[in-house]
Amino acid sequence: MTADQHPTNGLDETVHQRHRLGILTITAEAQRAEFGYLREALGLTPGNLSRHLTVLEEAGLVQVEKGYSGRRPRTWVRITGPGREGLATELTALTELVRRHADRPIS
Amino acid sequence: MAEDGHEPASAGSNEAGDGESPERLGSQPELLAQMKVLRRQARAARHAYWFPLVLFGLLTCASVPFYVQNVPRGTGVFETSTAVPALPFLGDFPGFLTQGYLAYYWIAALLGGLLATQLWYWWHARRVGLATPARAYLITTTVLLVAAIVIPPLSNVQHPHSLHWLHGLRVLWPGDLVIRGTFPFLIIAVGLLALAWAERSWALTVIGVVYTGTALLASLYDVSNVLYRIGWTVAPGSEALPNVLLPAAVLLLSGAGTFAAQRRHRIAA
Repeated sequence: MTADQHPTNGLDETVHQRHRLGILTITAEAQRAEFGYLREALGLTPGNLSRHLTVLEEAGLVQVEKGYSGRRPRTWVRITGPGREGLATELTALTELVRRHADRPIS
Repeated sequence: MAEDGHEPASAGSNEAGDGESPERLGSQPELLAQMKVLRRQARAARHAYWFPLVLFGLLTCASVPFYVQNVPRGTGVFETSTAVPALPFLGDFPGFLTQGYLAYYWIAALLGGLLATQLWYWWHARRVGLATPARAYLITTTVLLVAAIVIPPLSNVQHPHSLHWLHGLRVLWPGDLVIRGTFPFLIIAVGLLALAWAERSWALTVIGVVYTGTALLASLYDVSNVLYRIGWTVAPGSEALPNVLLPAAVLLLSGAGTFAAQRRHRIAA
């Protein structure tokens, strides 16, 4: 096996971070996810979540839509095509790593 | 440490919370398990399909008066028409199982049901914070309804020679499926299967398949025959009602069951 084929090469540092992976996982499950849902589901503060969203948006993995619900500002997050691909690649690599770890003989 | 006191998932964070380098692989099974939990929670929170099940069940029950026939006293004979029906897919068929206005009822009920379902999903998305991509459901049901309205007149009208091919649309007539006026159930069934795909729900897929089977049975067989065999005689003029109430019962029972399940999940969450 060459180094290129190793599952760790499928890991993207932008996607691999636990909270950003969580954001992509949730937004892939819906047409779009509201900021408040992401904050509660991931146990993050608004500031921390905003920073993660900025990283993902700058990488083109999510789109952030700001609007209003009555007078209340609302922020919706939508995963992009590259975001779905990145998530799928990441989960495939993680699954393969776990499988290898489980298959490794105990020394 | 992040400003909020929430430590990133693993050590060595920078300002954006990048704590987990690909080199630290010890917690991968845990990470995968957490993602599965997040996905399952999001899916459960997003699911809201009990509403269209109950709504279309109630709309089916409300159609019952249109399926009851006025039997001429003493004759036991129904009058039938030989006129070409305008809306045969939706119940306007020259048979004896349905009466006038049924097709108009179903056009209004299907359009109203679609609109109410879209509003429901819009409201649910705002309340929960997760939106279901229900557009496929809207498009599928609308296309079927429009086809059910447009195909019969197009294939019946005397066209100029260049449009003669429109008579070929008769191929799309579903034959025996329309004679009992229950074809709208099949439109609802296909819509539910499209909704199951949008909702990514195995439960709704199973419900949709069961309902499709029930709708096919109601369209092809007189369910009152079964009742007769078990000793339950249906009143004259009401023979079509079991064909209507059976699919309605499937929708209402499954809607009530999924409402209870979704409510229990939300309380637990």
